Amino acid sequence: MDLQEIPPELSGPSVNLPALVSDMERRVPYAAALLCRNGGLQVQVRDREQSVTEIAPRQGLVLSAWNGAYFEEMASSDLSREHMFGLARRFMGAVQPRLRGAVRPRLRGAVRPRLCGAVRPVASDGGIDPGQAQRTHYATACVEDPTTLSAKEKLDLCLDLQARARKLNPRIVNVQVRYMETLESKAFVNRVRQLSQNVLRLRLSVMVFVSDGQQLQYDWLGKDATGGLEAVRLNDDDLRRVCESAVAMLSAKKVPPGMYDVICCPDVSGVIAHEAFGHGVELDIFLKDRARSEQYLGKPIASPLVDILDDPSYPGGHGTYFFDDEGQLSSPTYIIRHGVFERGLSDLYSAHSLRVPRSANGRRESFERKVYVRMSNTFFGRGKTPVSEMIESVERGVYLEHSSSGMEDPKGWGMQVTSQYGVEILNGKLTGRRFAPIGITGYVPDILQSVLAVGDDFKLSGGTCGKGHKEWVPVSSGGPHLKLKARLG
Amino acid sequence: MLQQVIEALRKHEGVHDWCARHVDKRSTQYYVIGKHPESRRVVTSERVVVTVMNDHAPAAGGSELVRGEADVTVLPSDLLRLADKLSQAVFMARLTDNPRYGLPGLSRYPVVELADSEMQKRPQDVAERLVGQLTQSLAAEKNVRLSSAEVFVEESHVHTQNSRGVDGHQVGTNLLFDWVLLAAGDADEMESHVAFERRRAADLDVPALAQRYAAHARDALAAGTPRTGTFPVVVSDEALDELVVSEGNSPLTLRSSAQLKYQQISPWEVGQSIFTQTPSGDAFTLYANALLPFGTRSGSLDGEGLPGQRLPIVENGVLTRFWATQRYAEYLGVPPTGEFGNLELPAGTHSFASLLEGQGPLYHIVAFSAMSPDPLTGDFVGEIRLGYELNKGQVRPIRGGSIGGNLFDVLVAARWSRETAFLGDYAGPRAVRFPQVTVAGA
Repeated sequence: MDLQEIPPELSGPSVNLPALVSDMERRVPYAAALLCRNGGLQVQVRDREQSVTEIAPRQGLVLSAWNGAYFEEMASSDLSREHMFGLARRFMGAVQPRLRGAVRPRLRGAVRPRLCGAVRPVASDGGIDPGQAQRTHYATACVEDPTTLSAKEKLDLCLDLQARARKLNPRIVNVQVRYMETLESKAFVNRVRQLSQNVLRLRLSVMVFVSDGQQLQYDWLGKDATGGLEAVRLNDDDLRRVCESAVAMLSAKKVPPGMYDVICCPDVSGVIAHEAFGHGVELDIFLKDRARSEQYLGKPIASPLVDILDDPSYPGGHGTYFFDDEGQLSSPTYIIRHGVFERGLSDLYSAHSLRVPRSANGRRESFERKVYVRMSNTFFGRGKTPVSEMIESVERGVYLEHSSSGMEDPKGWGMQVTSQYGVEILNGKLTGRRFAPIGITGYVPDILQSVLAVGDDFKLSGGTCGKGHKEWVPVSSGGPHLKLKARLG
Repeated sequence: MLQQVIEALRKHEGVHDWCARHVDKRSTQYYVIGKHPESRRVVTSERVVVTVMNDHAPAAGGSELVRGEADVTVLPSDLLRLADKLSQAVFMARLTDNPRYGLPGLSRYPVVELADSEMQKRPQDVAERLVGQLTQSLAAEKNVRLSSAEVFVEESHVHTQNSRGVDGHQVGTNLLFDWVLLAAGDADEMESHVAFERRRAADLDVPALAQRYAAHARDALAAGTPRTGTFPVVVSDEALDELVVSEGNSPLTLRSSAQLKYQQISPWEVGQSIFTQTPSGDAFTLYANALLPFGTRSGSLDGEGLPGQRLPIVENGVLTRFWATQRYAEYLGVPPTGEFGNLELPAGTHSFASLLEGQGPLYHIVAFSAMSPDPLTGDFVGEIRLGYELNKGQVRPIRGGSIGGNLFDVLVAARWSRETAFLGDYAGPRAVRFPQVTVAGA
């Protein structure tokens, strides 16, 4: 497969997009068209079971029209030329253009003065800014391009990993190896832009199930990236580590609930950044008056050691892309710099309504869903403290490893992150005593202000992120190790 | 489109068995911020999901044939290269070596109510009416307003056929109603956020739900932190659904699946207690119910063509059967049951009010930030989004902190309410009381 071209399923229909946009703009002040296709390959190997199968493609066309007050959309999986133009005709027959600004949500006084000025406002009162003219194709760079390997070679890779892991410990009852290769292809057109991209996402994971005859436990290890196979290869050390960790889970205890000094591994740090100050600064929730962070714009909110960024252009990140679903080119956004809340993340509608500069965070789960403001790669900025020094500084605490889930609370500013396990720290040393699972909860400003040290390391981990309980998109989160105080339970 | 795919499957070399599922869907979506529309969308999609089975000699050698299967999705634009898609599926299926298994044959399918005719005929009207009901209900709520709402009204037509004679068609509707309410205090605002999924609009009593969630938003303004310790905990309504159903990933569902038993991951055995401790609460009985009228996981037939059923899975704490798709039923030598469906628990014997009795402190949790017990071990930790501390006749709202434990360890001692609720994918007691749960608070 040539990543320098969008797939044939989209390249044919994409020639119709400029004409569709032009037709729609006869009736509405701004229109755009997006073709998207997500699909790929999944290989899975367990004891006595193997599968190689397609990741079900989701492919369709989205027509978006600004009616003067809000966006209306019509979308379809049928990409035949006749259907695409028929869809546009039906759509334009249904759209009701509105008087400018007729029902725009009110501007929040706290937002407007701070965010304007730094960058040119996105739009005039009456219209949507289509951006600067551009016509470019983008593609993920790979060293070991997986699309040049056969499905058989990928199955063999998984079979080999499964066989090697399976014999590492007699308490292992099953090992699951999963390889996922997803190609996300998009073509975006508005009156001045014609952009396309192929984003190749890989994930290779090993899940080890162990039993002592009384109970079953497990642990997993995964690597993920936008890029080639070189970014996700697992070695013998990785396999040994995940097997030993799964076995150690058999003797894990519940953590005594209470406040602790904790050291968060990059994985847990990242989920804290994502849940505490990622979702809470998505500007669509500012429009809904759901964001407590609005009161802190331009003010200190975290320890001065803390930087938090969202960067869809981060090379190799699982959440990386070249432009968002509304044609905005990716670039990093400093959300918190030196402890001060600088700006939030936006999509076209929230940026237009709040008169703030756009960031490339307008994303949709698929053509079937609306664009929302979504994170990409969200992380704490790197610090200066060696990790060993951080651990040595803890008299009694817990080293938190391996986040498994999190949940935002943008209005109440509570935060929940679940860590698969933690290891006791006593007098500056890891004792090996394991607690599992661990819930980390607290009030967001308290947690961010309690950061006492930021590690000199850095790592991103990939996953998927929902908005509330739906709208799943690929992201990553991470950063360095952090030392902070948190309530564990 | 389905017939074109099936004709191609019948002729294609290397296709030894197949299942094809045509899914045609229309979704009408309405988004509101405050009193104003944020967006309107209409989405149509059509696809055929094809599963191809291929029998071949194993790569490791041997004379006994093995089976591989692979899925491909055929979109309207794929019809011109259908043969290539099927060749791709056969190629993938040939790569994998699994013990052979079959497919379900033709059955009589039960009639299950799955569609709301008004949602089918007037989806946009239903969406706007629901938002109107919510707005109207909130007008009577002091200091509470609507932040935002999303309504998805969907209709799907699914036609399933396979190489062994299955031919089943079902039409269903789905409704998602997601809303956020804001309550204003003297100097602060708090929210309550909830999402309901149903098949029928009439299954949402919007005025009653708006009243309940408006109260939640107001109570959140005054909520404090719970204590730390071990306390009786009552969980009710949507919070209970999250704890026991977990969007289909409940350890109750997974541990009772033949697939996990075959994979040696489920420790459960038919005829044995699902608990490691001696039961001290109400007898625990669980049904997998795909026939629940308007259940969001109901169906006349499942994805591979097995008829929907209502099955006792656990009776008085003892596992009575594994639920099984055709493949894993054959592997374990048990009857195929089809997919799990909705989770049903029989009504308890205690009044909801009596579950809240006692000197206290007792915690009644009505909303978690997120609660999904580990699907394999049952371990759980969940932040309390809103609850109430009941102590010596006093009621105090609480939020923050968490509860933690193991689902099986708490179910073994649970007492269930006699009042019941239908929550889309759950039918059963409205509330449960656990005598001892760890609370991490102040």
